[in-house]
Formats: sequence, C-alpha cells, structure tokens
Amino acid sequence: MEATTLRRRGRTAAAIGGGLLALALIGGLVALLGPGDDGPTSAGGSGSTLGATWTDPDGDGALAWGPGEPLRDRTDLAPAARPGRTLATFAQITDAHVRDEESPGRLPVLDRLGPPFVTAFRPQEALSTQVLAATVTALNELDPQAVAVTGDIADSAQANELEQAIAVLEGGRVDPDSGSRGYDGVQATSNPDPFYYRPAVDAPSHRGLLDAAQRPFRSPGLDAPWYPAAGNHDVLTQGVVAPTQRVARAATSSRAIAELDEDLELPRSSRSISPELVDRLLSQGLGRTARTPADSGRRPLAAGESLARLRRASAARAAPGTDIGSGGRLDLAFDIGPRARGLVLDTARRDSGSGGLVRPEQLAWLEAELDRAGGRYVVVFSHHPLRASEGGEAALESLERDPRVVAAVSGHAHRNALTPRGGSGGGLWLVETASLADFPQQARALRLVETEGGGVALETWMVDHTGGTLAPIARELAYLDAQGGRPAGSRGGVGDRNVRLALGRRSAEGASR
Amino acid sequence: MSNRPGAAYLTGALARLRVRRGRGLLAALGIVAAAAMLGAAVTVGYGLATGFERTAERADLPDVIARFDEERPARVDERVRALPNLEAVSLRLEIRDVPIGAGSRYTGDGVAQVVREGRRGYAIVEGRDLRPRGDEVVVESGLAREWSLEVGDRLEVGGLDGGARVVGVAVSPDNVAYPLAAGPRFYLSNEGLLARYGDPSGAGFGEPPVNSLLLWTRDPDRLEETLTQARAVSYGITDLRFITRSGVQVLIDQAAGIVVALLVAFSLVALTSAVLMLAASARADVERRLSTIGVMRAVGFSRRGVAVRHAGEAALVALPAATLGLAIGWLIAAGPSADLLGAINQLGPGLALLPLLGACLAGIVAVVCAATAWPAWRAAGRAPAETLRGAELRGRGSGAGRFSLRLPAPRGAFGLGVRIVAARRVRLTATAAVLAVATAVVLLMLALAALLERLAEDPGTLGKRYELTADASSTSAREVRALPGVESVSPRYAVEATDSFRLGENLQVIAFPGDHTRFEAPPLAEGRRLRSSAEAEIGVGLAQALGLGVGATLATQLPSGEETRFRVVGLVRALEKDGRVAYTRPRRLLAADPSIEPELAVRLEAGADRAVVERGLAAAGALPQVTGGASTSNRSFLALLATLLRAVALVNGLVCLYALVQSLSLTAIERRGTVATLRACGAGRAHVVLVLAGAAAVVVALAAPFGWALERFALAPAVAGLAADYAELPLGAGGGELALVGLGVVLVAGAATALVARRAAREPIVRGLREG
Amino acid sequence: MSILSRVTVVSARGLVKTFGRGRAARRVLDGADLDVAAGEIVAVLGRSGSGKSTLLHLLGALDRPDGGTISVAGRRLERAGERALTDFRRRHVGFVFQFFHLVPELSGEENVLLPGRLLGGEAGAARRGRELVERLGLEEVAGALPHTLSGGEQQRFAIARALVNDPELVLADEPTGNLDAESGAVVLQLLREIAARDGRAVVLVTHDRDAAAIADRVLWMGGGRLDPERGSPPRALRVGAGAA
Repeated sequence: MEATTLRRRGRTAAAIGGGLLALALIGGLVALLGPGDDGPTSAGGSGSTLGATWTDPDGDGALAWGPGEPLRDRTDLAPAARPGRTLATFAQITDAHVRDEESPGRLPVLDRLGPPFVTAFRPQEALSTQVLAATVTALNELDPQAVAVTGDIADSAQANELEQAIAVLEGGRVDPDSGSRGYDGVQATSNPDPFYYRPAVDAPSHRGLLDAAQRPFRSPGLDAPWYPAAGNHDVLTQGVVAPTQRVARAATSSRAIAELDEDLELPRSSRSISPELVDRLLSQGLGRTARTPADSGRRPLAAGESLARLRRASAARAAPGTDIGSGGRLDLAFDIGPRARGLVLDTARRDSGSGGLVRPEQLAWLEAELDRAGGRYVVVFSHHPLRASEGGEAALESLERDPRVVAAVSGHAHRNALTPRGGSGGGLWLVETASLADFPQQARALRLVETEGGGVALETWMVDHTGGTLAPIARELAYLDAQGGRPAGSRGGVGDRNVRLALGRRSAEGASR
Repeated sequence: MSNRPGAAYLTGALARLRVRRGRGLLAALGIVAAAAMLGAAVTVGYGLATGFERTAERADLPDVIARFDEERPARVDERVRALPNLEAVSLRLEIRDVPIGAGSRYTGDGVAQVVREGRRGYAIVEGRDLRPRGDEVVVESGLAREWSLEVGDRLEVGGLDGGARVVGVAVSPDNVAYPLAAGPRFYLSNEGLLARYGDPSGAGFGEPPVNSLLLWTRDPDRLEETLTQARAVSYGITDLRFITRSGVQVLIDQAAGIVVALLVAFSLVALTSAVLMLAASARADVERRLSTIGVMRAVGFSRRGVAVRHAGEAALVALPAATLGLAIGWLIAAGPSADLLGAINQLGPGLALLPLLGACLAGIVAVVCAATAWPAWRAAGRAPAETLRGAELRGRGSGAGRFSLRLPAPRGAFGLGVRIVAARRVRLTATAAVLAVATAVVLLMLALAALLERLAEDPGTLGKRYELTADASSTSAREVRALPGVESVSPRYAVEATDSFRLGENLQVIAFPGDHTRFEAPPLAEGRRLRSSAEAEIGVGLAQALGLGVGATLATQLPSGEETRFRVVGLVRALEKDGRVAYTRPRRLLAADPSIEPELAVRLEAGADRAVVERGLAAAGALPQVTGGASTSNRSFLALLATLLRAVALVNGLVCLYALVQSLSLTAIERRGTVATLRACGAGRAHVVLVLAGAAAVVVALAAPFGWALERFALAPAVAGLAADYAELPLGAGGGELALVGLGVVLVAGAATALVARRAAREPIVRGLREG
Repeated sequence: MSILSRVTVVSARGLVKTFGRGRAARRVLDGADLDVAAGEIVAVLGRSGSGKSTLLHLLGALDRPDGGTISVAGRRLERAGERALTDFRRRHVGFVFQFFHLVPELSGEENVLLPGRLLGGEAGAARRGRELVERLGLEEVAGALPHTLSGGEQQRFAIARALVNDPELVLADEPTGNLDAESGAVVLQLLREIAARDGRAVVLVTHDRDAAAIADRVLWMGGGRLDPERGSPPRALRVGAGAA
C-alpha cells in the first residue's frame, strides 16, 4: 500500500513537473510567435499621412502606426469650397542633410556645448541617405508632376555628400560610406564617451546598425522631374562658412578632432563666424585629435561647383534660369504640368552666414519670370523662408500683388508652418516644411485644385518615408533625440500639416501691376 | 448519509472527535505548527518580496533621481522637458550636513530636501504633506522612529530660526532609513522658505538653485531611451549622477533578495513537511479505523460518504488549528518583518496580507482534508469483508517480513526500535526527507547568517585578501615584509577618478604591480583577468553606469586632470563602492600622474596574529590600518538580517522537532500493541525510551547526511547563484554550523523521544493490548 | 512438587474494580476472591464483559484494583509503585494472549528471548528460551517471522515467551480463542504441562467449556464475584477423557 502510494506520488510529481515544463514551453513559444511591434512592414505602403501615420499617443517615446490626419480647411484667405479638378500635383523634399558622419571636417564634439551647436551630432546621422531614399520611394507612390528639393540636401557642402544625395535622387547604386570601409565615427562601440548615442550599447539597442548604414544600396530614384534650390548647407561648410583651403585640408586629412580644448573660445552665434575666424581656429588647433582614415572625396565644394552639379543632375539642366558661373545663382523656372509654374530662388549666402538672402537682381528675375508665367498659377520655392530672409520681404511684396502666385514654399527652419499672407492679389500661403534630417522626417505633398465657385485651393499633406529597414530606425532615433524635432515642435500644429488652403477666386490672367 | 441534515452530521463528527480527543489534539498541533511556519514565512516573505514595489507605488517613487551640482532651475527644466517618454519632473535642492535637533537629540548630518511644486516621490504615512509655509517640515519615518518624533513636535533646524513644526512623516524607498542611512532626511517647502525668508541668494539672483530632480516616465520599460537622451543633454551640468528606480531596487534586493529567496524556499519546505506529516498522520488514522470503515461500508455507507465523512472531520480540526497557527506565525513574524521593512524604508503589507493568509488557510484545510479523505477513499474501495480484517491488512502493510532482518541491528530495546521504524520504509523515507530538508535549510540559514556577519567584519568576503595596510612613505615594502607574520606586501594604488566625459561617474581605480588577485580578487563575471597596464577589470556597477562591456574602452580622468584610457578585459563582481571600481596596473596611472602615492597592502601568514603585526608596523611608523569590511551603517542592517535568518533557522528547528515527534508518535501509536506487550513482559519506561530512541536514531542517521549533502550541493550553490550578480558567497556550512546543527538534531531527537516516550509510558497497558 | 502444589501463589480478597464514573459507572468486580496454588490451573468462565479479563489484568499488575488486596508470589500488588509493578511483571508473571501479541519484526525465537533481553541479556534467560523453543517443538520455525507462522505456532512461541523468565504465575487470556480445535488442544496441553510439570500457577480465562476442562478448578464469574461452578464435572473425571 505504501509502495503504491509512493509510486503514485511519484507519478503526480512527474505530472506536475511535466505540466510546468509544458507551460514554460508554451510561454516561450508565445513569446517567440507573439505579435511583433508595429514595424514599418505593417505600415501602409503609401507614405501619405492622410490615412495613417506615426504617432506616440501615450507619450512613451515609442512611435506607433496610428490614425492619419485628414485634410482640414484653412480659410484664412478665403472661405472653404468643395474641391474639384486637380490642376497640378507636386511635392517638396527639404533639408535631407545627407551627411558624411565619418568626416574629420565635422565637429560632433561641439554638440555637447549645447545651442547653437545642437545639430553638430544627431543620433540618426549615419542614416541620412537611407532616409532620403525611403522618401523617394514614398513620393514615387504619390506620382507628382514635379518635385522641389528645397535645399540643404547635403550637410556640409562636401563633394561626397552631394554625390550620395544626387545618387539617391537619380537612382542606382548609393555608397554611403567614406574613408575606409565600415564605420569610423563617434558612434562606434569602442568610443567610451557615453555622450553620443552608440547603437550597440545605448538604448534603443540596434546592434550592427552602423555597419548596415555604411553598406551600398540601390535607390529607386525619383520618377518625377526634380528641381533643386540652393541651401546654405549645400554651399557652405556646416552651412555657415565658405570652405577655405584649411577647411578643405582638415576635411580630407587623417586627423579628427576628438576633444576640444577647454579654454577654446568659440563663437556663440553663427553670425560672428567668418572664413577668417575658422581659418584662425583651425591654425591654432581646436584640441586633441585622433587618427581617422582620410578620404579625398570629402573635399568641400565651392558654391558654384556644388550648384552646377545639382543643376546637371536634376531636371533643372533643361529649365531656364540664371547662369551659375562663379558667383552665379541657381534661380530656376519650370512647369508643373500645363496649369502651374514653379520658380526657384537661390537664397543661400556665398561667404558666411546661415541665413537667407534675396538679392536685388533676383527681384528683377522674379518679375520677369512672373511675366512669362502667362495664365498659369505660380508657386515659388526657396530654401530659406522669404519672410525670414534678407531682401525676402521685397520679394514677398512682389508676389502678393500677383493673383497667380498661390504659395511660397521653403525649408531651412526644420519646422512645419503654414502662414497666410494677404495681398492685393488675393494673398498667398507661406509653406514651410520640416526637415528629413530631424523628426518628423516627412516630405510635403501639394496639390492645386479648382474649387466650387471658380476658386482654387492648395491642398497639402505630409508624406512619411516608407520602406527599408534602416530609415524606420532613423525615424525612431530622430523622435527620441532630445535636441531634435520632437522637443523643438518641428511637426507644427495640425493646421501646419494636412490642410486645404483656400485661395478663393483668382484672375489668373491679369496681374495687378 | 448525504441526506442527513448537516447539523446532525456536524454533531456526529464532533462527537467522534471528542471520543478521540488525544489523537485529534495531536493532529491539530501538527496543523498549528505547519500553519505557524507557513504564516511566518508568508508574512516575512510577502512583506519583503513586495515591499519595494508596494512602497514605491504608494510613494509615487520616480523612475529616476538625478543629482548634479547646483544649477538654475530653468536651465535644468528646459533640458529635462526635451526628454522623450517624460511624464513629470520635480526639481529639488538637497542640502547635506544640516544640524538638526529635537529634545535631547542632535545630529549634524541632517539632509534637507527643499521641495518645489509638483510630485513629491514620498508617501505621507502620518500627518499631512507640506504647505507652502516656511515653518513646516516633513520628516522621514526613520528619523521619527529613532527620535520618537510625532506630528506637532518641533524640529530645530540649523539656519531656520525657531525651527519648524513636524506636520508629517514620510517614507521614500529610494534609500534605506535613518539610522541605516547616515543622514536623516527631512523636507522643506521651497515656496514656504521663499515666502518666509525671501530669496536666500540675495536680491536679483533669481530663484534658489536646485541640485537634484525626480523624473517620472510614461513607460518605465523605456527608461533607458530616456537616460540615453538625458546623457546627451547633460552638457554643462556637472557631477551628474542617475539613480534609477530599478537600480534602487537592485541595491535593496542585493541584501533582501537573498533573504526573500530563502524565505520562499523555507515556506515550501514548511509546506512540504506539513503535507507529509499531515498525510502520514491521516493515513495512520484511517488504517487504525479500517474496521470501522469496513463496518460503515457493510451497513451501507457509500464510498464517497466515507471519504467525505473523514474529510469533514479533518476540516473540523484543521480549520481552527490552521487559523490559530497562521495567527501565531503572523504574530511571531510581523514584528521583525516590520522592523526590517522600516529599516529599508518600506511599508508593511497591511491588510494586503489577509487574502494571502486566507489562501494559506484554505490551502492547509484542503491539504488536510485531501490527505484524510484519500486513504479513507482507498480503504473504502476495498471489499468490506477484507476491510473488516483490519489486523491482517496492517500486518501486510507493515512490510515487516520484507525488510531484511538479516541486517545487523543493535540488540536490545534500542535495536528493536531501529527495526520497528526501519520496517516502515515509506514513512521512514518521508520523515527522513522532511528532516533532511529542514536540516539543510537550517544549515543554510546559519551559514548565511554567519556570512552576513563576516561581511561586516571580514574583508576577504569583499574580495580582499590582505588584512592590513601601511603607510608607504615611512616604510619600505621590504621592511614590512621582514616583520614576523607577514606573508607578502605589495604597493596598492587607489585613486578616486571620474569618467572622462564629465558625466559625474565616480570610480576608484585600484592598481597593484603584478598579479592583483593575490591581494584583491573580486570574482570575475565576464572576460578575463588583466595582463597589462593598458587593460582593466571593472566592476559590474561601473560597467552598467557607463555602458561598458568587455572590449570597450574605459576613459577616466584622474584628480590631476590627466586622462587615462584602459581596455576593459573583464567585468568583476565587486561589492565595494557599488561596483564602481576598476583594477589595473600602476604604470599608466603613474605616467598620467606621477604624484600618486601607494599604500602598502599587507598579507598575513596563515594563523598570524594581526594585532602583533599591527604593533610591529606601528613601531616602524607605518600607520597600520585594518582592512575594513562593510561600512558601519550597513553593519547594523546586516546584523538585523542575520538575526532574522537565525530566527527562521530556529523556527525551522522546531519543524525538525515536530517532524520527529510526529514520526515517533505515529510509530508509538501504531505500535502501541507492541509497546503494551513489551510492558506486559516487564519493560519499564527506560526500555520504551530506548525503543523510541532507536527509532529516532534511524531517522536522524538517514536525514543528517542527506541534509548536509542537500545544503552543500543543492541549496548553497542555488542561493549563491541568486547572489552571483553581486558577490561570490561561500555558503557551504562551516564546521561550527555543522557541529551546531548536528548537536541540535541530536537534541531535537532526544526531546522528541522523551516527549513521545512519556506519553507512551503513561498509557494503561491494558488499553494498548486491547488496541494492538 | 506436592509441597509446592500447596503453596499459594495467588491470593486475592474482595477485589473491586469500577469502570466509568457517575451514572455510567459499572462495577465489574465487586468483592471477588481468588486463591491459586502452585501447580494448579484455575479456569475462569463467564459471559462477555463479566470481568474475567479485568481480573486477569489485576493479577498481572497491568491494572490496579479499586478495592481489595492481591498478593502474588508473596508480593502485595494493590499498593506497589510503578517501578515495583514493572519489576513484578518482568520476574513473576507470564502472559498468554488471545491475539498472541508477537512483535512482528522479530523472529519467533527472538520474541521468546525478548523479555530476557529486556532484563539485560541474562544468560539464563537465553538458555531457557532456547530450551523452551526446543521443548515446544519450534526449532524448525525458530527463525521465521510471526506472520509466516500458523496461529498455533505463534501461540506456542507466545507461551514460550511467557515462561522464559521463569514466572510463578502464568495468565492466559482466551489462549485458544483464535485457534482451530487441533491447535487449541495442543496449547491447552502445554498449559496443563506448565502447571503439572513446572509447578506454576495458571489462571486461564475462557468462555470455552472444553478449554476449561483442563483446569483443576473452574470458577464462574458473575455479578462481580467468583464462584465455584455448579455442576461442572470434577477434573479427575475428565482427565482420562482429556488424555485420550
């Protein structure tokens, strides 16, 4: 009897043990097979944020694929009216800041000094080409008639940055690497400085991210014709100062600044930076340097060279514009289908300073191009918002008088903003768009439509970049970045994103001048 | 039977219990004992296991506490607001070394926390929270307890004329309580102070500064992301240190976690042994009543009816007994448990314990009922005729014939006892198992308690293998080496450094020329030992703080301002300085800062008298210092834990006693016929004692080595494994503990024998003969 | 032996024993007297519950009387201490039970030797034990465990155990109650021998008249007293039949 009891007890114990084991196994399986997070694969194919987009509803720093933002009417300039036929569809890419993050021509170490150097380092900076490529993919889905690339396509006017950016837009093989093969930069695991986000050791953990980021990939290229606007980062080193011989030598050298001298006196504003100051700082030495593989491709381009390359690579090569010789400008005029015309103003300074500049001769060019626009609606593109550019006000005054001018579209501020500007012509919308470099990493789609009652409206909505495995990580990192677009409020308000901007009835024929 | 009215059934059951009062009492005592063990284990275990979470919840403990050098609040606020996953933030000014007093008590170590608007991160356990008045103060519960402060009392605060009125008592589990923590904390309102005194920094300088902040995240699981960003925006803020909620918990778990694990193990042991005892007892009872069961079956009781009847009777005994036992266990454990929780700034579970104790009650009653009903069910399943021949069944069941009597057994009454108990192999195994497990746990508890005390005294436990240090400037290593009793001497360089990135991670860089493991050898967690002066072994704590792994680079800034870099080749589990240490060789350190002076680490020969060497060193002018163990404030905590563990060990010793008493009682009850026969043949009480002693000896002889082996090869490694993240714990029981436990077991066996023998010898022989 | 046979081994006077209290009290013995001489077998007959076994327990010092006196082998039992009673049981009295009461873990022979060992391994007891085993024809099964033995064999071992310490008085409580007729006869014959050959006093409690037939005297227990049974044939007339 006892022996039986013991045997039974043994069986029971075995059964309990087996049960626990089974439970553990099931638990493990559930964990393995359980629903994954909302990866980019589960997100919709089109990047349009009208249907769905990336949000952080619970504020925990994790983006989730959530409900989109349908167009809402903005009636600042005219009453709302039902949209009808589409007159033109186009898109804007701005401030991609394709960055050679391994370049000794940069000073990520400045980042720790805080403003104004916060953009000296971005956690997602190694993924700039991939983000641009994913944006291209999303815009191809939209199938616009033209795409305006409104400047800062490169980060520091380096030849290889521009090359990579152009390769992404043109399509084909893109090699994001520089120096020797693989990653040599501040985000390497071997860097003991926890100040930088190191994907392999810091949260969120992305092991192998940097190696993946350096691997060549194929870009689909923009299907639509694209037109570049000159940004300060496309022509100036770090977007603030014209490259000098010393800067060129530093960028192509094998010594990178690892640590700044503590007693180094640095300018606290970009306005006070001049090529001479940079040369002086470089000659006295900024601090401790470390060895890094050199790359001649890091040569900074002079403004003319940079803009000429952009013009050659884009649809601008066939578009009428001003001549870009030495000291010339990249002002362009192009058709957006038969009913609309785009004008690009080159607002980048050539010597130093990150701010915008509209030169008097450009006003004349603008007037001339408006004259040539005929019965077409006009959209003006520039890197810098005209309202914040030297000479921009004069340009805006000129534009506001013309009923055909519906919008002035710009970037640079890394922040979405839609501002009405009244005028004798019926007014226009100042469209400012956030960057691809920082959160929210969106492009802007625009559609000019007829409205009931004979008016027009400009519909615009944001477009998330889609596809790829690295670009979504870039968006995640950009969102977390405490010096990035999230705390800066770069997304703007809902009225700055997906809206139908009423423009009312326009006499497209008669410019009131 | 099932259709009998319940009241009549109850009356019947009670009547039957009255008839067998003695046996009922024995069973009830067993249940009381088991329930008491369980009650105590649950009270302490649950209180500790859930203490931190519970208190953190009530105190609204932030996910991160950051400390830094004084800053303008706006400057800090601006940075913090940019962090992802941020729910709320509160800024504070912490002022240390504030003289405070109340009545005759005084300390200069007060820690004033000047709090601002926003969430507090502490729980008010008495009184109310601060209002924006300058004459109010909330004190931490440790201070209130230690100084017997009550709401309404006055606290003298240096710099606060007239002192302040205590309006509340608070608990915050981010640190241990005063006096375990060196400085008692109290809270003042920033708004109140401003209102009362105006801007302390003088007009025109704006708000008073802050030097710490509490940060709450929306999703604590994504805290690391937030911290990564916090590091990135920390430019310009110096001496920044983060303390995370989980980090606090880990620190507390370092000590309490081991205890919790032990108590859980102890609860399981208690439960297992209780079940075994109860089951064996119930079975014996049913066996004795086989004929009754046979009769019941013969007169038409259903099998289920018989089982239910037995279960019902058992429940009648179990319910009050288990309630009583749980209450006793709770009473015993509640006090020390509350003290312990209070010492680590945690709140007791309060009423939350009730459902758990209720579940324990239900569990015990269920186990008892099942253990009783099951054998009854089985017995009732036999043919009534067979059951009626109860005596025969018992004979067969005893397995007496099968057990090899050819084994050489001691002669006489003692030998008879051995044979009698050995015949019941299953019961013997069960009792020996209970006793072995209990012994093992007792051994473990004692080993752990001893270890905790060693932690307080013995540097070796912290990985240090030298006993003394000496001043190297006045003596040479050679001179010291020549002293009698000194085994070896090495210069030891210890430098307080910071990380190179001004993140405020303080660390101690320790360097020995040559093999440092001869003098200091914290266990290696990962990687390998260092081989050159370019390499370093770093503590796990430092690795976590700086996100360093094997292969990474440690960059440190020495007090001279020089930076040195080391390749991390190993992670070590150092308890010292929360693991913020790095071991290396001195060459690089000296290259960076030639002014670093070593001390001499002195290792003594085995058996050498430390005091003698100390005197020798002192005579040579070498300013000897004894290598310390844990810090003084930890010492009392460790002592408290050791006391608790000893108490648990004692309770567990009582388990041993009960197991033996129960086993012997069962033997005596079952074999009362044999005992009566012996007594009829002229056996006196001494003989009865001998018989029972023989029986007890078999159990002990089996259990003791198994218990030892269990502790040595299973429990100790398992517990050491639990603690492996913090330290290498040599938990094998030492000779002293073994001797103590061995003696204890013998005493317990003796006591059990005496107890049972007394009862057995008191029973009228006639009754035994009739029963037998 | 004839002298011995006149020696009074048991002398009990006015034994009173009451069980229970108050209204439930039952006086089982109420002034029972008994004398047994050495070499004499006294059989006590009576109905169930009449107090036969109680009498036996009092005579064997397993229980104390509430009143009256008992003297066995010259020792007064009614007021003796526990230690004295234990000693008495060890040296002066041997028990034979209905259910044998052999220790199941010990072999037959070990059971026989048990009281001797309890006394501290007295050499004489061991020798006597072995003799008894031989005499009772149990050598073949001496090493066997009780549960492998027949009822008769077990009872013979029990008788050997009762005799091993050479007691003056042997008390047998229904010794044949659990045996078949044949085995019972053997056991009765043995008891007869114990009295006749060894000169021990034997008190045999039984309700079996056939068993009582081996007695020198038969007493009837009734109303708490012992009376000579009327109408029972004198033993002398039965001897021939019993021997046949």
